[in-house]
Amino acid sequence: MRKIVSMTCMLLLCIMQVVAQEKTVTGKVTDESGAPIPNASVIVKGTSIGTTTKTDGTFSISVPSTGKVLVFSSIGMTSMEVNIGSKSVINQTMTSENKALEEVVVVGYQTVRRKDVIGAVTSVAGKEIAQKPIVNFTQLLQGKAPGMNVIGEGGRPGAGAFIRIRGVGSINASSEPLIIVDGIQIASTAFAQLNPNDIEDISVLKDASASAIYGSRAANGVLVVTTKRGRGKPEVRYSFQYGQSDALDPLNVTFMTAQQKLQYEFERGYTNPYLSSLISRNITAGNLPAGSTLFNINAQQRQSLHDSLISKAPKSWKDVLLPTAQMKQHEVSISGSGDKFRYYMSLNKSDNEGVMYGSYYNRTGGRLNVEYQATDWFKTGVNLALSHSKEDLKRELYNSQSSYTAWYLTNPYEPVRNANGTYNLTMQGFSPLEGADNNPNVLDRISTYATLFGEVKIMPDLFFKTQLGSNYNTLKGESYLKPGSNLAAILGYNQKNDYGNFDWTYVITNTLNYKKSIQKHNIGVLLGQEFNKNKFYSYSLTSRNFASASLTTLENASTPTVATTSRADWALISYFANASYDFDKKYFLSVSGRNDGSSRFGVNNRYANFWSVGAAWDVMQEQFMANVPVISTLKLKGSYGTGGNNNIGNYEAQGTYALNVRYNDLPAAAPARLPNPNLTWETNRTLDIGTEIGLFKNRLNITADYFVRKTEDLLYSINVSQTTGFGSYTGNIGNLENKGIELSVGGDVIRKGGLVWNVSANYTFVDNKVTSLYSDNVPFGFNSRLKVGQPIGTYFMTRWAEINPQNGKNVYYNLSGAKTETYSAGDAVLLEGKSPNVKYFGSINTSLSYKGFDLSAQFYYSGGNYIYNFQYTRGAYGQSFFNTQLYTDAFNYWKKPGDVVKFPNITDASQATNYTTDLWLEKGDYIALRDVTLSYTTKQDLLSKIKVKSVRLFVQGTNLWIGTKFKGVPEVGQSNRESAGYPGQLSLFAYPQTRAVTMGFDIRF
Amino acid sequence: MKKIYVYLALIAVLFSACKKKNLDLFPYNQIETSQAFNTETDVNLALGGAYSGLRGMGNYKQGEWNIVYEVISDNVIINEQGRLSQQVFHNWQYKGNATVGLFSQAYSVIRRTNAILENIDNVPSTPTFVNNVKGQALALRALLHFEMARVYSKTFNLATNADSTVPFITTTDPTILPAKISVKEMYDKIVLDLTTAEPLIATSNGVGRLNRAAVQGILSKVYLYMGDWPKAIASATSALGATPNLPNIATFPSIWTDATETGVLFKTKNTLLDNSNTLGVNYYQTVAGGIRSEYNVDYDFYQLFANNDVRKSSYTLQAAYNGTNYNHVVKYAGKTGFPAGVLDAKILRTAEVLLNRAEAYYRNNNEAAALADLVLLKTNRYTGYVAEVLAGTALLNEIMLQRRLELAFEGERFFDLKRWGMAVTRSGKGDKADGTGTPSIFQSIPAGDYRFNFPLPDSELNFNKNLKQVPGYNN
Repeated sequence: MRKIVSMTCMLLLCIMQVVAQEKTVTGKVTDESGAPIPNASVIVKGTSIGTTTKTDGTFSISVPSTGKVLVFSSIGMTSMEVNIGSKSVINQTMTSENKALEEVVVVGYQTVRRKDVIGAVTSVAGKEIAQKPIVNFTQLLQGKAPGMNVIGEGGRPGAGAFIRIRGVGSINASSEPLIIVDGIQIASTAFAQLNPNDIEDISVLKDASASAIYGSRAANGVLVVTTKRGRGKPEVRYSFQYGQSDALDPLNVTFMTAQQKLQYEFERGYTNPYLSSLISRNITAGNLPAGSTLFNINAQQRQSLHDSLISKAPKSWKDVLLPTAQMKQHEVSISGSGDKFRYYMSLNKSDNEGVMYGSYYNRTGGRLNVEYQATDWFKTGVNLALSHSKEDLKRELYNSQSSYTAWYLTNPYEPVRNANGTYNLTMQGFSPLEGADNNPNVLDRISTYATLFGEVKIMPDLFFKTQLGSNYNTLKGESYLKPGSNLAAILGYNQKNDYGNFDWTYVITNTLNYKKSIQKHNIGVLLGQEFNKNKFYSYSLTSRNFASASLTTLENASTPTVATTSRADWALISYFANASYDFDKKYFLSVSGRNDGSSRFGVNNRYANFWSVGAAWDVMQEQFMANVPVISTLKLKGSYGTGGNNNIGNYEAQGTYALNVRYNDLPAAAPARLPNPNLTWETNRTLDIGTEIGLFKNRLNITADYFVRKTEDLLYSINVSQTTGFGSYTGNIGNLENKGIELSVGGDVIRKGGLVWNVSANYTFVDNKVTSLYSDNVPFGFNSRLKVGQPIGTYFMTRWAEINPQNGKNVYYNLSGAKTETYSAGDAVLLEGKSPNVKYFGSINTSLSYKGFDLSAQFYYSGGNYIYNFQYTRGAYGQSFFNTQLYTDAFNYWKKPGDVVKFPNITDASQATNYTTDLWLEKGDYIALRDVTLSYTTKQDLLSKIKVKSVRLFVQGTNLWIGTKFKGVPEVGQSNRESAGYPGQLSLFAYPQTRAVTMGFDIRF
Repeated sequence: MKKIYVYLALIAVLFSACKKKNLDLFPYNQIETSQAFNTETDVNLALGGAYSGLRGMGNYKQGEWNIVYEVISDNVIINEQGRLSQQVFHNWQYKGNATVGLFSQAYSVIRRTNAILENIDNVPSTPTFVNNVKGQALALRALLHFEMARVYSKTFNLATNADSTVPFITTTDPTILPAKISVKEMYDKIVLDLTTAEPLIATSNGVGRLNRAAVQGILSKVYLYMGDWPKAIASATSALGATPNLPNIATFPSIWTDATETGVLFKTKNTLLDNSNTLGVNYYQTVAGGIRSEYNVDYDFYQLFANNDVRKSSYTLQAAYNGTNYNHVVKYAGKTGFPAGVLDAKILRTAEVLLNRAEAYYRNNNEAAALADLVLLKTNRYTGYVAEVLAGTALLNEIMLQRRLELAFEGERFFDLKRWGMAVTRSGKGDKADGTGTPSIFQSIPAGDYRFNFPLPDSELNFNKNLKQVPGYNN
């Protein structure tokens, strides 16, 4: 029956077509470059008559006499309407959407035209961070957006970075921004697992107008990351790169040579164990008289001992401990769009050795982003990515288990191996090389990112979208103290620890979006609701007594010692809305609000509201600007609003007894926390005033922003008397302020005959200060304080004055400013204005392109911060550290009355202790040539015969030059991975930063 | 238009999918404080938590201060080839926050005992159970206050009514800002807790928990510090019983490998699972070059260990590191079959109680009884020992010497010197086994020096303005 009906219908249709008068229109659809667009849809407007173009872009369509207009559309291209008139051949050129619509920006839950953005938002295009040799790509964001300061934790491949948007907004809660990838909140570890080349763009939301819609998580700014979608004709891309990197040498200092070090030891009156045993052997062999010491033999005899020692030493310990690392990267991607499909698929593999002996970070991953326009009212899509990484995490400690620290500790005359071929444990009693071989700690991570959505067009202007996002991360760690390893011998046991976690965040988002233009009034309304949930589960299993190092599963060990698991969850329920209005694209207004309920906060304060108001005026739209030829863009903007910070532990509000305690192998319970049912969000109130100016037909562009960001109700430990058995509980107390300006200037200096020279620069200044505290001048981390009116973490230490030229002793200032030779920690004072916080930073970028050649460079600069240079202490204060490697600066010690030097008499035992003083506090200012890239891209026609669209060859260098007065490497993030500390406070042998040179190619088919 | 209703219904369903109760999340390894004392099992858990806190105390005998108490005395000398740990203490340069661990962690355990004492009467239970729990909680509370009193303030017999010490806390109220109390008042409260505990506590809870004999032993020490000789004698006698249970020469070394519990009245347990090697690592690590000590036995002190003294080999070992001979402290080498440095922390032994009594007898003019106790100890320590006869100052000196030798590296020496009103005077010798090498930078602090009393932590003084710093530390 059904068949008959449908056949009848078909028949009727045929008859109708025959009956109607019609003509055939043919043509070809091409893109701007003239290439054919296949699968483009060609429809007769107002009818259901349509066809699609063939692979060569040609089409043929029968148009009834009523048909007046053809509509051309293709995904990724702007739809176009063409009057048919009397034409029978219509060749249509389509332009791609992004060019036609100008730049769009992804902001909170929606996309807006760049020109219509009211808030302070900077977009970082994917290509700015793609194909760079730094695997820890968070660091690649350095210098890309004014207002966003990025400091790498260290140089470990795969390491994260500290991101601070508009200053440090919190003391105890995290100051990291919220990171949203395709709609899912992800943790920084999962962020580091992403393949940077898959990123379309990153929107940095800085002010309240842009970020308030993220409510209780928005206080420190938001990074909205969008991954690539296919566009246009199918394109296959393959790229490869290879590179080498080396640990950066400390700047402005020189390590002693073996001869210098031995000379220093002699001056100090120290006989190292190698020389002791060499002397004994020489005495036994009759080469030296009995009773010989280093100090009663003649210079020639001594030199021959020294020479004998030096002859067994390696040419350079750095080559051994921090060898040159190689990296290789392959990537294939396929992308494109058809009539109803958009797709982007990529596979990548990246193998990176680290510069610390034995370390590596390898990542393999893939992504598939698909969008399908099922009907004219329903669209669905999925973004799926999978990433696997494996790394051998070497220890970053302040001892010789870290090969970087060992470089500072191992004397240049010490041999790498003993005569019998085993590793020499050196005077440190530990060989990091042996440790790297026999104490592996391998981390295996799998991350999946999935975003599924469906979007319904309810009415022409009303869309409903529901989206499910999931980020699932697993970590599997295996840390093995192999039997027979040196560390196992020291501890008296061998053991293996298998540990890991399952970290799952999912989010359900529903949004209703309405956009309408009535004459000159443009209205947009967004309503949304969201549920976020995170579930975390971890385990740790340890067993001892392995029979052999080749057995690696715990079942092979005789003594299980640890078997523990733990869990934690958080949830967030939210409602949000945004309304925007503009009159004639001249006056803009936007209002946002969000209500968040968080499981982390006390029952009395679980829900909070956040809001923002922003306005902008496009002055150029005014009549009176029409005759100003120089100015091509002039826009004024302002916003004010709130954002929250909920980055604290999951259960801080609850008073509890912990049961993860035991005594004598029986379970036990102990008080864990004092309750605070009033615990709630930190609130940021941000004022932003900005302008965008374009001059000379937008050849010179300037943006400027002024901001005042006040943090209230700081999530901070509220002290109680320690006599209560607790030190504190988490409460909301204290205020902070970050004030500053952001500037960016850029333009084409030369634009002539195919030669384009572009220069741009950005600058940010942030003034951070504590504005109120429950108790002033309290200790904060390493020798620093929190004090009202001063930046967070202002240093607090005893001031060093000089070396007394008369007796060669250290002289300090006491509290009253008088000089004293007695050190006292009680003489510590607040060093006003000196804190680890970066005050200004930015980048200078330049690019030169001519006929396929591109040369670009980025300088990154940062300063205004102070670093306690512990590594310099270690290298220079030979009075304490005479038995380890030193800088040549250590020779600058007091030798005789009248010497004006920096370091005391090395033979004076009273000066042997090195104290914490401001002598070791240094400015962290630097400018680095972060990136230089030279590339050549072939011309299209050159390779078209072999079906290759283009080939790009490139060479790039990272950190080729650094200008600084800092004695060491000035980019200090973590102190080190195992004692992280406040970012930038202390240089304590974190994984070294590297210099890299890579080359590669990129082929598009 | 009907389609719109379908959409609206769909939207309504999706928008209303969230329930507020989704926000009520609780930790998986914790219970709410209000639910912590419902049953006897809960009480046992909390009591275990109190003992566990004792073990976790960074600054108590299972922790760092096991060595700190020695480092400040004349028993040890810093090893130049070591990691130079605890130098601030060895040089008597401690300031404000050097003692924060002892202060905060002692009060943390005190809170645990107070929570038990506040709740025990509301738990359905039997008088025997309740009494034993109360006894242990009170005695623990007293023990920790006593520890702080001897660290932070003048010793009882040398203190005047004006001398003050840390507050005595008996509540779990988180809002308190207590002031110092007089040393006399402190000792009165300690004695009250201990004497209240004595009849309540069971006689055998195992040496990993407090027992009646341990409480009596602690009392003898407290009375000794107070100079109340008759009571010190009485308590010691109660603790020791008619025949003091002293391990003999053959058994003695087993105390330090935890192979025996003979002669131990109270210790904190450290199991394979706990695996805390702090006690051992405080003193040294074994590396390829041999034993790398942080501190070695002072040369002159080492000479006081006779070759026929079982303590010499139990406590010390002469061995080379990087070709140089040193006298290492091996008392904390660890349990047999355990990783290096893992062992129980002995808090009170019968030998100490016996020495308390010997000294109290002597001070109480009963030299004969004092000598008898001394001979009993020495018989069990020296191979081939023949009972000697000593009197007067010679007897006292021998009691003091035996106290130093017996309790060496257990953190008593400094407080004994303080109690006796003596100076700390180091030998001036170097760190090597033959007395050469680098001597300690600072050699002595005079009797009664302010540095005999440790400073209170700045972090507490900054917050609790009712508390005043110990005299001498003007920061």
